[in-house]
Amino acid sequence: MSEDLQCVDEAVAEFGRDASAVIPILQRLQQRYRYLPEAALRRVCELTEITPAAIAGVSTFYSQFRHKPVGRHIISICHGTACHVKGSELIQDALARDLKLGEGEDTDSNGVFTLERVACLGCCTLAPVIKIDDITYGHLTSQTVSRALHDFLELEKRGIVPERHDRTAAKGAGLAEIRIGVGSCCEAGGSQSVRRELEAEVKRLGAAAVIKPVGCVGMCHQTPLVQIITGGGEPVTYAKVRAEEAARIVRRHLKPGGIVRRIRAGVDTVLEHLLTDDTWEPVSRYALDVRDAPVCSFLGKQKRIASEWCGDLDPLDITEYAAHGGWTALKACLKAGQPEQIVEEVTRSGLRGRGGAGFPTGRKWAVVRAAPGSPKYLVCNGDEGDPGAFMDRMLLESFPYRVLEGIVISAYAMGIHEGFLYIRAEYPLALQRIRAALARMESDGLLGSSLLGSGFDLTLKIVEGAGAFVSGEETALLASIEGQRAMPKFRPPYPAESGLWGKPTAINNVETLAMVPWILRNGAGAFQEMGAGSSRGTKVFSLAGKVVRGGLIEVPMGISVRDIVNEIGGGTPDERGFKAVQIGGPSGGCLPASLGNTPVTYESLAAEGCIMGSGGLVVLDHSDCMVDLARYFMTFTQHESCGKCTPCRVGTKRMLEILERLCEGRGVKGDIERLEEFARTTAGGSLCGLGKTAANPVLSTIRHFRDEYQAHLEGRCPALKCRKLVAYTITEDCIGCTKCAQICPVEAITPAPYRKHEIQQDKCTKCDSCRQVCPSNAVVLGSPGVSVDKEVG
Amino acid sequence: MPQLTINGRSVTVENGVTVLEAARGLGITLPTLCHLPGKPAFTSCMICVVKNEVTGRLIPSCSAPVMEGMVITTDSDEVRQERKKILDLLLSEHSGDCEAPCTTTCPARMDIPLMIRQIAGGQLKEAYETVTDRIALPAVLGRICPAPCEKACRRGHHDAPVSICLLKRFAADEALKVDADVPPSPEGLRRTSRAASAPDKRIAIIGAGPAGLAAAFYLARSGYACTVLDEHEAPGGQLRYRVARDKLPMDVLDREIDVIRKLGVLFQMNTRIEPGAGIQRLKANYDAIVLTPGRTHGDSWHLWPVESDGRGVKVETGTFRTSDPMIFAGGEVVHAGQMSVRAVAHGKSIACAIDQWLGGRPVVGLEKSFESRLGQLKEGEIGEMMKDADPGTRVEPEGEHGAGYSTDKAVQESRRCLQCDCRKAKHCKLRDLSVEYGASQKVFTGSSRTKFVKTVSPQVIFEPGKCIKCGICVRLSGLAFLGRGYETVVGVPFGDSLKSALGSAAADCVRNCPTGALAWKADA
Repeated sequence: MSEDLQCVDEAVAEFGRDASAVIPILQRLQQRYRYLPEAALRRVCELTEITPAAIAGVSTFYSQFRHKPVGRHIISICHGTACHVKGSELIQDALARDLKLGEGEDTDSNGVFTLERVACLGCCTLAPVIKIDDITYGHLTSQTVSRALHDFLELEKRGIVPERHDRTAAKGAGLAEIRIGVGSCCEAGGSQSVRRELEAEVKRLGAAAVIKPVGCVGMCHQTPLVQIITGGGEPVTYAKVRAEEAARIVRRHLKPGGIVRRIRAGVDTVLEHLLTDDTWEPVSRYALDVRDAPVCSFLGKQKRIASEWCGDLDPLDITEYAAHGGWTALKACLKAGQPEQIVEEVTRSGLRGRGGAGFPTGRKWAVVRAAPGSPKYLVCNGDEGDPGAFMDRMLLESFPYRVLEGIVISAYAMGIHEGFLYIRAEYPLALQRIRAALARMESDGLLGSSLLGSGFDLTLKIVEGAGAFVSGEETALLASIEGQRAMPKFRPPYPAESGLWGKPTAINNVETLAMVPWILRNGAGAFQEMGAGSSRGTKVFSLAGKVVRGGLIEVPMGISVRDIVNEIGGGTPDERGFKAVQIGGPSGGCLPASLGNTPVTYESLAAEGCIMGSGGLVVLDHSDCMVDLARYFMTFTQHESCGKCTPCRVGTKRMLEILERLCEGRGVKGDIERLEEFARTTAGGSLCGLGKTAANPVLSTIRHFRDEYQAHLEGRCPALKCRKLVAYTITEDCIGCTKCAQICPVEAITPAPYRKHEIQQDKCTKCDSCRQVCPSNAVVLGSPGVSVDKEVG
Repeated sequence: MPQLTINGRSVTVENGVTVLEAARGLGITLPTLCHLPGKPAFTSCMICVVKNEVTGRLIPSCSAPVMEGMVITTDSDEVRQERKKILDLLLSEHSGDCEAPCTTTCPARMDIPLMIRQIAGGQLKEAYETVTDRIALPAVLGRICPAPCEKACRRGHHDAPVSICLLKRFAADEALKVDADVPPSPEGLRRTSRAASAPDKRIAIIGAGPAGLAAAFYLARSGYACTVLDEHEAPGGQLRYRVARDKLPMDVLDREIDVIRKLGVLFQMNTRIEPGAGIQRLKANYDAIVLTPGRTHGDSWHLWPVESDGRGVKVETGTFRTSDPMIFAGGEVVHAGQMSVRAVAHGKSIACAIDQWLGGRPVVGLEKSFESRLGQLKEGEIGEMMKDADPGTRVEPEGEHGAGYSTDKAVQESRRCLQCDCRKAKHCKLRDLSVEYGASQKVFTGSSRTKFVKTVSPQVIFEPGKCIKCGICVRLSGLAFLGRGYETVVGVPFGDSLKSALGSAAADCVRNCPTGALAWKADA
């Protein structure tokens, strides 16, 4: 099959012939061919300075790139932390079964679907999540996932493709506003179809209302969210709105001909109806004042700085942003003409890098400002790779102008005229919004030459990540921009002194930059007022896992973990409460419930073997196995290791082998001590933060849950999670209805009407379907601690 | 110009100098594997770690720039332990044999693949030297040895093992044909140059069987005056008086013994040494005694004036020294029912131990190097190994029963060898460091092994299983890193040829590769 190679020539013409253009060129090729044909790669080498070794090295390093043709559609199965604890492996198995995939195969025999595992899609509150091409499906179970496949094929047949957003109509006085959330979680929840119905109904009524898409309000557990705001009144929020309810909502608030009436009385019942529909929280949680309680508790203890006005603004409406104080800080900075003072103000505020390391931002800016060398560069690190974290995604999608304002201010403060926004490819909506925002800023004179007539020039470019967690590490990120494998370098020298192409480079996280305009508008003192110790200001967290109200929250530093989980998050569905909270992703640790009063500050968390990290908080309950969790994180880290340095490349592999042994009941005496020893070598000898912190999840779970490790050595999984250590059995409560036999995907149960059914253990894949479907709770899960090979009686 | 302290010594250096360079300035050489002198550091292997006492952190000295006030320790137990752990990790992903299984199975540890390569290349003199480096009486053994090496030969996984025994016989017979001189041993060369004026040391060897003959062979080559005493009429022990004549013609044995005589060894036949007074007399007149009387007198080993147990005379492992520091014992008197090749191996070890003792050096026996072992072959791996070998079936010698190889046949058979030893076993930095730091390949038992792969070009052998991902060849040539993390392999982009990828940098790559991953085909 001969490939049309015209695309190669076009890509080279667009991105240039320099070696540093390799990643964008490869991305363009893959967009066109859906994989990277060898002929196309060879042609790239012919036309550019990129060598075969470089293109081979780069294209095989990043997860995004494929070297084999794929099916018509790609199913990305998310295995982020929240999805993992909610059973993503069961989803994976179910899909592999549905597509009749053999061992090692990823595409069905008809070439329709290709399965791929992804580390995180950033829709954690809808876990477990899959994405088929551009459509996201959430809250799946091994039973419902087939329905998602059929639903997708239906949409394909009907030619319906997900819309991309355009500008809304201008807001006029006297018009009611119907706001609909348009973050990724909202879309995944079906907000687009809701929006279509809203628009249709408003048009049909001829009502005086405008539909306004708004950024993320953070209540991701309630998506899709619709908010009605009528002339000067309080917003009324509807949660988990379904498309067929949209028309009813419009009619409740809007009368034909434009008279707006608010029906307060009816709202309670409507909302209660909506909230209890299809949710798994106990109704009793929403006792009094149903309309406000959950929202108030969720929003109450929060303090919005980086995520200020989220939920109020159309992400791409630049005028609206300006009307809410946007650009005030930037204009003041440009007018004052004292860049050093900006650096001082940021330093005084105590702002620390929100990407995870917590380095004092002002100090970094001062180093870059003073460093000899020119030109200087800045990079906004939007590579948010922690599985279970989606804060930066929310900020980029919902508040792009705020992030960009922070970037422009930082550039001015440090004397930088060229900047890069490094955004991971797994965030297509964020990329789209930032692109649109940049274009708008350029046309409004907020970017380019002589911003707002100040004489200060700045151009910003977007660089798309290509799928490598390690490229979130500063020096690896720079290598990626330079068109190389994302392998870190030893520091010193630090990027602030010698970074991109050897020049001083300031790298800051999205959230850090989003704080800057607020700090400059309100003063360093105001920021300092919040927080504790040397952790001032606020932090955005993504709360997910076994929690009632998951979503994005922004809280002052110093709040306790317990308050976050119980007050803001509404506690766990399981009455026993939370077992632990995983903080800091694969570099972080598990904080047991017994230490729930630990305040969220850099120091307190470090003292307990955790790290602040980028802000992922995954709540775990008693059905979560801590050894499995350690194994999960080590799997992730080991897969994402760049492979350059010995302690990480080999050390993580060896630790993973031990953890896998433990989870499969093949643990050997001394394994726990071995883990601790290997952890020391990996942590002490690794080149970069990935390797240095790879052992944190293991060490913190051993520290706080050593008994679980001990149990696994004895072949038991107390949480009943590790599939090789548990067994499903049917009790005497069985009524012989044969439902389990019918649903079993591997025919491990023979139908026996009116008689007690039996599960054949050697066939059972522990998919949990029989337990879910049994009407008499006769299927029980146990971990008898028998060795893997023996039968369970 | 920052100033720092290394191991308590102060030094001032230029700005930008690394800790590695600063140490070198003080005459301290730190171990490296991934470092290319003169090029920027890659910071991959981490073997060069040192400790910065100010921060308490371990840092890679190749990359860390010197900072004012640094206090560096390069040689503490902690640092050495860290380096050992790094080596343990590297060895756990190292798929390859330092020495081929035939060599490690051979009781005398003869370098079989080297001998075979030399036969294939027509270098018969060199082949004979390789053989006699470890094996005395090779023409004899080439006719009677049960060849445990062939049972371990990997070629046997594919069709039939290489005919190692017959090839050795060929090398030995060719040498006998031309009356080849046996060169002095490396130890002998050292002795001659070192102690030209020292009085000759005299060694008495009791028993002219394979063990005693071998001891005499190696001691004489090391420059010692040896006298072999035996109660029989002619030397040979079991070889003359037990082995069937049709298996081992007497003239072959006689000619091999003549080789030993030519080295200056004296034979006193018809001489029986009494276990009590006889030994005392020998001790008075000689500097060391080799006790290799065999088992001709039944269970009489306990009569010798050294410690023994129910099985034989007790000796120290490796040195074969008995409870009497002057007496070294080997052969059947130590352990009954051995193959002759093992007795010969004892003789070599004894010669080595005596040479160490009389030379005032620590008596440790033959040096044991570090061995990386591939172990059991996995599926597909024999195919990889076959890439370097002739696919033909095993060659049988022509002529009457019991004949050896002709030159043509020998060369043809030698080409069947898979050459599964490492071409760089004697120049491997990883191996040398593993010896120095006492690293072990057994720390991570139960772990997976990377697949053995072999890529062959006209001049270069590339075995990515031995690669430590140091990136030297990637930095120097058109080879590429493929994949990420643990699964990273160094490979040729687009499946092109190894030769084209290496290009003109082939010699630099082979020379700088710190392991046997990249080696010349022709390397010994």
